[in-house]
Amino acid sequence: MRYYVQRVALAILLLLAVSMLTFGALNVLGDPLFNILGPVAGDVNNPDSIKMIEVAKREFSLDRPLPVRYALWLSDFVRGDFGVTFSSTGQPPVSGVISERLPRTVTLVAMAQMFAILISIPWALITASRAGKVSDRISTLNAFFLVAMPNFALAVILKYVFSIKLGWMPLTFVADDPWRSRLFQMILPALTIGLPVAAVYQRLLRTDIITTLQQDFILLARTKGLSRTRILLVHALRPSLFSFITVVGLNTGALIGGSIVSETVFRIPGIGSTLVESVLRNDFPVVLAIVMIVASSFVIINLLVDFAYTLIDPRVRR
Amino acid sequence: MSVVANNAGDEAAVARKKLGFGFWLCVGWLGLMLFVAVFTPLLPLKSPTANFLDSSQGRPPYAPSWKHWFGTDKDARDVFSRTLHGARISLTVGFSAITAGFLIGGTVGVISGYFRGWIDRVSSFVFVVLLSFPSLVLAILLTSLIERSLLTVSLVLGLLSIAPVGRLARAATLQYSDREFVLAARQIGAKDRHIIIKEILPNVAIPMSSLALLGMAVAVVAEGGLSFLGLSVEKGITWGGLIQLGSDASKTLEKAPWISFFPILMLFLTVLSLNFAGDRLRTFFDVKEMTL
Repeated sequence: MRYYVQRVALAILLLLAVSMLTFGALNVLGDPLFNILGPVAGDVNNPDSIKMIEVAKREFSLDRPLPVRYALWLSDFVRGDFGVTFSSTGQPPVSGVISERLPRTVTLVAMAQMFAILISIPWALITASRAGKVSDRISTLNAFFLVAMPNFALAVILKYVFSIKLGWMPLTFVADDPWRSRLFQMILPALTIGLPVAAVYQRLLRTDIITTLQQDFILLARTKGLSRTRILLVHALRPSLFSFITVVGLNTGALIGGSIVSETVFRIPGIGSTLVESVLRNDFPVVLAIVMIVASSFVIINLLVDFAYTLIDPRVRR
Repeated sequence: MSVVANNAGDEAAVARKKLGFGFWLCVGWLGLMLFVAVFTPLLPLKSPTANFLDSSQGRPPYAPSWKHWFGTDKDARDVFSRTLHGARISLTVGFSAITAGFLIGGTVGVISGYFRGWIDRVSSFVFVVLLSFPSLVLAILLTSLIERSLLTVSLVLGLLSIAPVGRLARAATLQYSDREFVLAARQIGAKDRHIIIKEILPNVAIPMSSLALLGMAVAVVAEGGLSFLGLSVEKGITWGGLIQLGSDASKTLEKAPWISFFPILMLFLTVLSLNFAGDRLRTFFDVKEMTL
């Protein structure tokens, strides 16, 4: 029990540090006033501009000192109010933007993770049972190629081959389509993110399965006359999944990073592409909200992975 | 089945003894890229910004030909020349980022691994905070707030590599700081600084250096991602920027795939070489950790 409390406390501390870092960076390095008013913000001699500046400062609480603003923002944030977008109207509210776009990113990342797992497990099983043979070497080389292909380049290649040349997949994402076709439109973006990750998983899992296959209980299973497939699936896979689970959890961060690129290339209005747009527009309440959501989910997933670990192997708790 | 597994073990043992042909091929490619990156202004290349309009061929982009090896883009600029010029920023940023990361992260990691106590606790917490952001998100956040020059982009990517490098350096230092030769040095009255520099650093540096190439691959990819999103070095030609230019509109990608595919090829081969050479070095030095 003590272990869990400690881990949760650490996670909360982490989230606070992350939020301070993000909030501080945006407020110290950026100039929020300029983003609201544009050039007017620098025009301090014109009485009209000064009036506008005063109003904007009050409206966006920019006249308060930094720690107060942080506290205000944090208390709003935990209650789900992410503030207003920095534009002359402040519409739509950030939470509205997020709630519209987050589900798409979550779907995309989940789909990518699913592809990665579904591809990597059979791939690892097959290559591990043929370790050292030609087919295994070719697959290792392929995995190497996939890992070396940056995801934005992979996105361009997949888009060119499957959408433009072969015409199998739609070119863009249409937000108004029924959910089935939207899911279909996400296949290519999800593969963009999932394929390199699948190669990473495969490399790890293959090594672990090979190690497991050298254990005595596998030898016993073989002397009992069990078939290769049965040994692989029933006896070798489960004990080899230990580090696989951790890496799957930890890689969620890489998947979210990949979704930024993939959403941009395939024009999916998720939070990844919104992050890039908002950054280019200096709309920092949106940036802040997205970075916080991403970092929080990352921290929470890591926490869950740790807990899952203790369920598999109670020794970790100590 | 165990026989098969033994084969794999033998294979690893052989790989450890020599680096192999593939390794030197990769080093060769990296050397070539380095040469290109350093000497681009001196090479007899077409100007990367000039427009080579050719009325007999109609409107650009022109397909690859003897005159333009990699073709031209929409403004009739030579893709071959631009791709080679792109090597400069990508490699410089990749190299400086990982150097900065190793200098800062390595120092902090070794110090916290050696002294432990509160220094270790503070630095470990900072590492965990830095690792709580998916790295691309943190990179976007920081590059968006600064003036993006060669130096600042390198520093941001260097900052990203501090935590993973620092953790590795700390773990390696922990391994050695209780070993006999360190205790012996302490017994004869050597100062901490002496022990760190003369006893620990040489042992930690070898496994770390084999990870430098892998780290540089990560930095090159990250720079590519940033420039693809328009958030890397503002002035100058980058591979990511070239790929973005050729793929932004589906029409351009359909009609003139060479605009983005040649930079993709260069980037891919470079990252592949860095990864492969780094991987070989790691097996060569038998480094177990791999979290970079």
